[in-house]
Amino acid sequence: MLLFLQSLLNGILLGGIYASYSAGFSLIFGVMGVVNIFHGEMVMLGAFLTYWIFTLFHIDPFLTIPFSILSLFIFGYLVQRFVINRVVEAPPMISYILTFGIHLIIAYTALWVWTADFRTVTTSYSGFNANIGGIIVPYARLATFGLALFVVVGLYILLYKSEVGRAIQATAQDKEVARLMGVNINRIYAITFGVGAAITGMAGSLISTYFIVFPQMGLPYTIIAFCVVVLGGMGYIPGALWGGLILGVVQSLTATYLNAGLSGAFTFILLFIMLIVRPAGIVGKGIVE
Amino acid sequence: MLKLGFRVITVGLVVLFASGIALAQQKFRIGYAVPLTGTFGRDGNLVKDAYAFWADLVNAKGGIEVKGKKYPIELSFIDDKSMAAENAKFTEKLITEDKVDLVLGGFGSDSVFAGSAVAEKYKYPLISGAASSNKLFERGFKYYFSTLGKATEEVRGCVDIIQILSPKPKTAAIIGSDILFTSLACEGYKKYAAQNGIEIVHFELFPITLQDYNSMLLKVKQKNPDILFVGSHLMVAMKTIKGMKEIDFTPRMVTFSYGPTVPDFVKNLGKDAEYVVAASEWAPNLPYRDPLFGTAKQFSENYFKKYARYPDYVEAASAAGAYAMQVAIEKLRMTPPVKEGDRVKLMEELHKQNLMTFYGVVKFGEDGANEAHPPVAVQIQNGKLINVFPKEAAEASPWYPMKPWKER
Repeated sequence: MLLFLQSLLNGILLGGIYASYSAGFSLIFGVMGVVNIFHGEMVMLGAFLTYWIFTLFHIDPFLTIPFSILSLFIFGYLVQRFVINRVVEAPPMISYILTFGIHLIIAYTALWVWTADFRTVTTSYSGFNANIGGIIVPYARLATFGLALFVVVGLYILLYKSEVGRAIQATAQDKEVARLMGVNINRIYAITFGVGAAITGMAGSLISTYFIVFPQMGLPYTIIAFCVVVLGGMGYIPGALWGGLILGVVQSLTATYLNAGLSGAFTFILLFIMLIVRPAGIVGKGIVE
Repeated sequence: MLKLGFRVITVGLVVLFASGIALAQQKFRIGYAVPLTGTFGRDGNLVKDAYAFWADLVNAKGGIEVKGKKYPIELSFIDDKSMAAENAKFTEKLITEDKVDLVLGGFGSDSVFAGSAVAEKYKYPLISGAASSNKLFERGFKYYFSTLGKATEEVRGCVDIIQILSPKPKTAAIIGSDILFTSLACEGYKKYAAQNGIEIVHFELFPITLQDYNSMLLKVKQKNPDILFVGSHLMVAMKTIKGMKEIDFTPRMVTFSYGPTVPDFVKNLGKDAEYVVAASEWAPNLPYRDPLFGTAKQFSENYFKKYARYPDYVEAASAAGAYAMQVAIEKLRMTPPVKEGDRVKLMEELHKQNLMTFYGVVKFGEDGANEAHPPVAVQIQNGKLINVFPKEAAEASPWYPMKPWKER
């Protein structure tokens, strides 16, 4: 029983990690319809920012989060404003090609600058955990889970309670009408991308404390984010949390009770079934078309 | 007059051009395909550094000396992006398009497996110091050589170390990524564990792309093994340690087939790397020497001077492989450009070789594996790799059992 509870908890915490870096992917897709293939590179950039600030200035990884948020927001804003905005009205294939190109540019520039070395942030408290009745709770993952909740709630408040949020929603629903109502679509797109990038960078910062950081780490993160968002519902922000939790729990239980090798296979079987049975995600609120 | 001048200039240019070709051929052009990016990018870069170290050392003395004349070495390499098919493609390019004189091995069994098949086809001897899967030696190849032992043998030191531990461990779990080298390392663990009377309570291979290890390690922890044997490369080794700490899993000992000897392991994990045992085929305190690199210790110190880090055994094995080829060239009095007949002779010579190097004796068996190499186990103690097994070459006793994470 203890094993089951521990595996379940591991899955929930893993789900939190998945949700933390998938929420931005969902936001960007929901508003612009762009499947962002360089999403994982934003995780990588956030992780590297934390790694370097920690290594060079010995600043705690958690304190580097505001810096990641700001840097990635500016990065996302500029990339959307000056690059992706040019193709946002084009057929989806063009945005795939463009974002794939950006993925290659970032990954290989990072490789050139930072080399292929594997890095990780090891603090004096790395790997620390609490033992609650025999159940081990790693603090860093718990913090990421908390962050995922915070991000989802924060995005919800931003989208539904703020002026900018209403503009973002209006743009997502009908950009032509929004434009007629005086909304600056290009600016809204850039802000949305900036926010998506910022929360993804924040997740990257936390991930650097328990996963391995290297220039070519991005693509698997993009793939997982895609799976999470399909499971939870494309473009439906709380869906990132649902999708992350389902994926995390399924992977964890598979690794514990069957075989770690099967956890990857189960991920894609799940994705396959969802796309056929419930294309709008587990709670049915995702964008289908 | 003008006509004569033109003729003189033309003849002069032809002579200059011809001598230019002749001069350009006065060096050994050696190529290799190696992963510099992707999963094995970091490991592959070590091999590249090792070859450069050897070539620079030889070139500093004027080059490879044959018949009283010195021929410098010109190295060229191509990044195979950690993809075996790319390694084969680029090895073929080096041979057929770039027309290199000789080739060397890259990194990792999968890549070298593919690359060496191409080298065999074109009769290019290929010595690798960074691939050891048994399958490499089961193909009946004549042109493939390895300064490392076979993967299953490589981990022997990590298991045999049990003989000097007290209290003697009784059970073990074996996990490893499911690629060629690491899965064979796991088979090696199994074989030698059985010989040492160790009961295997868990055996599992997992995809190298597995992102999160915690739930898998949880299952292993539940079975409470005395020892955890891991078939690994650098990234797998780093992830395993991070995961073990997060789920608070401390067996009495943890060993890795590869990874902890790469300097990045200690650099990144700091104190968490303490107590970790790793397979090695070389250590700088072993009593070996050769005329080029000097003693094992001198090799290590000079390497440090050049790269500001100490070499691991794969780098030593790669440099030793290149040196073995150099010695064979010198013995055969071979000069560039190297023709097919020369390469056949080189292959035959390498099979006959029994060479003492700073890395130890290099003696290739019929199948190309280095027969003369004893496996070594090293342990990270106070941030340094300390040779702990076999006892004859040990710098210190192994730290055992491993201290629980919370007591460190």
